[in-house]
Amino acid sequence: MTSLPYPYTIRVDAEDKVRGKPIYAADDNRPGLLHAALAVSTIAKGRITDIDTQAASAVHGVRLVLTHKTMGAAKSAGFIMGGGYGFQSLQPMLSPAIAYRGQPIALVAAETLEQAVESAHLVRARYAEEPFGVSLDAPGVEVVHQADTPLKNFIPEIASGDADQALSKAPVKIDAVFKAPPQHQNPMELIASVAEWRGNKLTVHEGTQNAEAVRHGVATALGIAPEQVEVISPYLGGGFGQKNSLQMQTLLAAVAARETGRPVKLVVPRATLFHAASFRPESRHHIRLGAERTGKMLAAIHEVDAQTSRHDLFPGEYTATSSRLYGFGSFRGVERLVRTDVQTPGYMRAPFEHPACFAMECCVDELAYSLGQDPVALRLANDTDTDVATGLPFSSRYLAECLKRGAELFGWTRRSMAPRSMRAKDGSAIGWGVAVGAYPGLTTPAVAHLKADEDGCVVISIGGHEMGQGIRTSLANTVSRKLGVLPEKVRAVIGDTRAAPQHLTAGSWGTASAIPAAEDAADAMLMALAEMSPAGIADRTPAEILKAAGRRTLEVEVQRKPPGQPDEILGRLRAGLPSVAGPVYRSHVTFSYIAHFVEVVIEPGTRRIRVPRVVSVADCGRVISPRTAASQVRGGVVWGIGAALRESSEVDPRYGGFLNADLADYVLPVNADIGSIDVEFIDKPDPVFNRSGVKGLGEVAMTGVAPAIANAVFHATGRRLRDLPVRIDHLL
Amino acid sequence: MTADEQAADQAARGESERVDVTLTVNGETRSLAIDPRTSLLDLLREHLALTGAKKGCDHGQCGACTVHLDGRRIVSCLMPAVQTDGRAVKTIEALASPNGELHPMQRAFIDHDALQCGYCTPGQIMAAVACVDEGHAGSTEEIREYMSGNICRCGAYVGVVSAIQDAAAKMRRT
Amino acid sequence: MQTFSYTRAETVEDAVRSVAGAGPRTCFIAGGTTLYDLMKLNLETPNKIVDITGLRDLNHIDAGGHSELVFGALARMSDVAAHPQIADEYPAISESLWRAASQQLRNVATLGGNLLQRTRCVYFRGGEPFACNKRDPGSGCAAQQGNDRGHALLGGSSSCVAVYPGDLAVALVAFDAKIDVLGVTGERTIAVEALHREPGTSPNVETTLKSGELILRVRVPKTTMGRASTYHKIRDRESYAFALASAAVALDMDGDTVRDARIAIGGLATRPWRARAAEQVLAGKTLSQRTARQAGDAALHEAKPGRNNSFRIELGARTVADALMIARQRA
Repeated sequence: MTSLPYPYTIRVDAEDKVRGKPIYAADDNRPGLLHAALAVSTIAKGRITDIDTQAASAVHGVRLVLTHKTMGAAKSAGFIMGGGYGFQSLQPMLSPAIAYRGQPIALVAAETLEQAVESAHLVRARYAEEPFGVSLDAPGVEVVHQADTPLKNFIPEIASGDADQALSKAPVKIDAVFKAPPQHQNPMELIASVAEWRGNKLTVHEGTQNAEAVRHGVATALGIAPEQVEVISPYLGGGFGQKNSLQMQTLLAAVAARETGRPVKLVVPRATLFHAASFRPESRHHIRLGAERTGKMLAAIHEVDAQTSRHDLFPGEYTATSSRLYGFGSFRGVERLVRTDVQTPGYMRAPFEHPACFAMECCVDELAYSLGQDPVALRLANDTDTDVATGLPFSSRYLAECLKRGAELFGWTRRSMAPRSMRAKDGSAIGWGVAVGAYPGLTTPAVAHLKADEDGCVVISIGGHEMGQGIRTSLANTVSRKLGVLPEKVRAVIGDTRAAPQHLTAGSWGTASAIPAAEDAADAMLMALAEMSPAGIADRTPAEILKAAGRRTLEVEVQRKPPGQPDEILGRLRAGLPSVAGPVYRSHVTFSYIAHFVEVVIEPGTRRIRVPRVVSVADCGRVISPRTAASQVRGGVVWGIGAALRESSEVDPRYGGFLNADLADYVLPVNADIGSIDVEFIDKPDPVFNRSGVKGLGEVAMTGVAPAIANAVFHATGRRLRDLPVRIDHLL
Repeated sequence: MTADEQAADQAARGESERVDVTLTVNGETRSLAIDPRTSLLDLLREHLALTGAKKGCDHGQCGACTVHLDGRRIVSCLMPAVQTDGRAVKTIEALASPNGELHPMQRAFIDHDALQCGYCTPGQIMAAVACVDEGHAGSTEEIREYMSGNICRCGAYVGVVSAIQDAAAKMRRT
Repeated sequence: MQTFSYTRAETVEDAVRSVAGAGPRTCFIAGGTTLYDLMKLNLETPNKIVDITGLRDLNHIDAGGHSELVFGALARMSDVAAHPQIADEYPAISESLWRAASQQLRNVATLGGNLLQRTRCVYFRGGEPFACNKRDPGSGCAAQQGNDRGHALLGGSSSCVAVYPGDLAVALVAFDAKIDVLGVTGERTIAVEALHREPGTSPNVETTLKSGELILRVRVPKTTMGRASTYHKIRDRESYAFALASAAVALDMDGDTVRDARIAIGGLATRPWRARAAEQVLAGKTLSQRTARQAGDAALHEAKPGRNNSFRIELGARTVADALMIARQRA
């Protein structure tokens, strides 16, 4: 069945969304609700010496003021990358210690939102301040070589051949340093929790990419059994990595609800969010690339310094992707982590892959120009079927096809190679740039429960979270095709710990993990249907078979684990722990790929950079939901435009924290920033990776956009700009 | 501030003088005594259970809370609800016809997949309907400019523009 | 947000009486897009608010008079922007409006309120812990040794370099517009150029309005230069953003020769900034890329760069030059 492309079906939840149905956590309006608000630290590091909540408590309607002194017995749920559940190991309000500006110091719960907000503003704290540093080059920061930390056990450094020697002998060398700023995910939905206790059972409504971690994390933090907690997260208003673990506010809402005996809703304001959740860390990339005069790449050395917090080591996995872009003769990757006084950074769409591809793909463009070779031709000539880092074959790799098809769609042959050689009628400089991107092929275990009834409805309960990527539509398409029912008859219950174990949905593994499990479940159902139908099941719907057999419903459950993983991984899944395999498997390595072709137009005077046209061609294996997949790629391109030209979380070293903490000053792309974005898929299944032939898409879509833009800016201006974002400042 | 003033100030905390407001919401007259601090957005969401309009920034910087006030699009987060006395508010919940049939703009958003997570979508659609009604859907460039007050972090802008072009033609016909 | 009492004014006199003499924590509210926003940030803490949106006679647009365009203080930004005669005969005014904010905000925001829009300086809006003489007189100015990429190059002082963020006022200054204000002692007229103060040593005092004074209307002298005008605005994104640099220009041309030019710049100064030196550069000259650029340089001649904003001197000069060439096309 995987040999057939899927039809262009409608997004199954689109109608609810265009009607504005109440499906997000903050839409919850249950009776008796109290509204909560937070007070946050104004210092960047130190301790609270005194906290005065008298004025705050005196506000009419206030039912509770919580501080570290009144939180009661609770503990941190641990850091998700350190065996725990939280976005960082530090749970605010458990001690007087302040690790970063914006850290919550008090929560107020009141009858109305207005009262809660007023009260929170009246909380007064005195602090003992300590020195701090918030950026890579700040005095006092600590640099850690990742290979010297326990992280080396699951993120080995990439080393293939003697890259230093090969580089020293290479006749052509590129040596350049690139910088990517801290950035914030800023999904439109604010992080929010509604917590309610019924007896000793806690229900949390929250938009999360990881309902199981929220469940186990809150249970751990409160010292109760996970069976006492259920987490319901049918929809997210965008995630992008921000909501991929237990956030700091969930425990606070749960404690407030317990103390007041009322359900509590805590919606974290946008300004607070810049410090209350994770962000993409600042990173610096030193790349040395050596090649023959023919263009054959002999060696690449990619050294990265990336920001982490004082209290956690957020891993760096930049070179895991840069090393997979080409058939480098040799490769050496170095990842260093820089401890700074911030909340722990985390995953933001293509967290490592976007900056890594930016650095490497700009270097490759520089190489093309120093050789006088066409940038597409140089890339094609260095393509490979074999993974340099491991020597294993790639399970599938249609990067060359992406480049060729993209070049054709874009009209690349009409490009003149020389910088500053293409002009518009009004004198604007035109630049055409290309770059590729890649993203690891990751998989998680999944449990799928399938139920068919005699009325023709099919319900699939499975691990997964709908954040707009279209997992519901993919599941509907898959089950629909396997069972011969209409997609609209398939209902997916996801993001709900009552329905199935909910693994973290991130890392572009959602489809590649859920779809094969859904197919397994459908096969199990077909087998069960065949058993109850001696006349055979061909051309009959499950409802018809059930009716004929006198059955009202049929239920099956399957579990599936990634290839080569032990059975224990299913235990980790049920415990809410990350259980991810890949991109290196026993016999192969899997990546998704994309090629972007970009046109920039730069005004002659004020040097505004516009991006009127982008063509993107992706290899994500079989496309399960073509309509939502195309939207995801367009969204990834918009993200790339934002990352290349707009977004930067600014830091003032005197104050710590982030400065531009709102949506006016953190510059996201708006409609007028976006021109045409044409998307195509290779749509060839990868049967080695999984039975459905599907690879990840959401993040690879963004990789390579920023370097394609920077390369186009070079083509237009002759200037190599290596610090993101590229702005007017740099072109005047 | 004198000590007396401070005391008066303290006493007033949290306890606003309620203000009587009568407004029309989606065709229904609603009379309420409200805290004058309450935004129209919070009134709709927290008091009237109309949660289609969303809070994305609460400062007029994202457009997710867009509704129509007397037929014009506004950001409801920056509108004190007391100022809507005697006025008519329309939200996404009342855009479809009473029999449930979708507005052409809602239909077009589905057809062009002009959404992903759906959080900004009610605001986008209310803004899009107004954009057409105002006569600002004449060209791609004009639509892009006049829809720039609605941020979509999922990046569905291309779909939004095509949906508006599609729906505008149908809206003009009806 | 703190609690406050809310009343609706029935007449302009009633409004002025309610606010004047009621203390500094009583204020008018019209569209509210600045005031209510700042109240949410606890930067404005009124204890009494007088709603003037019911004063219908302040919501008018009169473009038909002989000598002046007259806009009521409560005219909505979107209405003035879309007024066909304004768009046609005074494109700089129309553009300064529709290139500001978003249509949703412009549908609510009034001209009077827009003129009084307060700065977007992040250190001002961020509240604690940032030092800000405007918010907390005497606390210092965090911007001067901080990230001042968006801060003022003109009209700043050691106390404050916060940019005046509005667009309309820049266009109005170019056209020598005036406002009529009503106070307890009666009506008076102020040139828009004299409305905003440079920060000096008291950046907390932003305008020359007296306590309780209410803007009634904006009057723009009619001029044939209106047609050959533009408001050119350069931002960090294509729309829905404040200016990195902007220029309102209007031209009176005799063939290729400039008879008269009006130039005001925005996004670069602590107040709307009329660039008379730049106007003089052009008077009697042939308008060319070169002379336009000379005018741009003259407009920024007195600019004092900070730590991160010097690129906006060049950007400002080029913005003026480009604006002149756009206006030239309309002459």
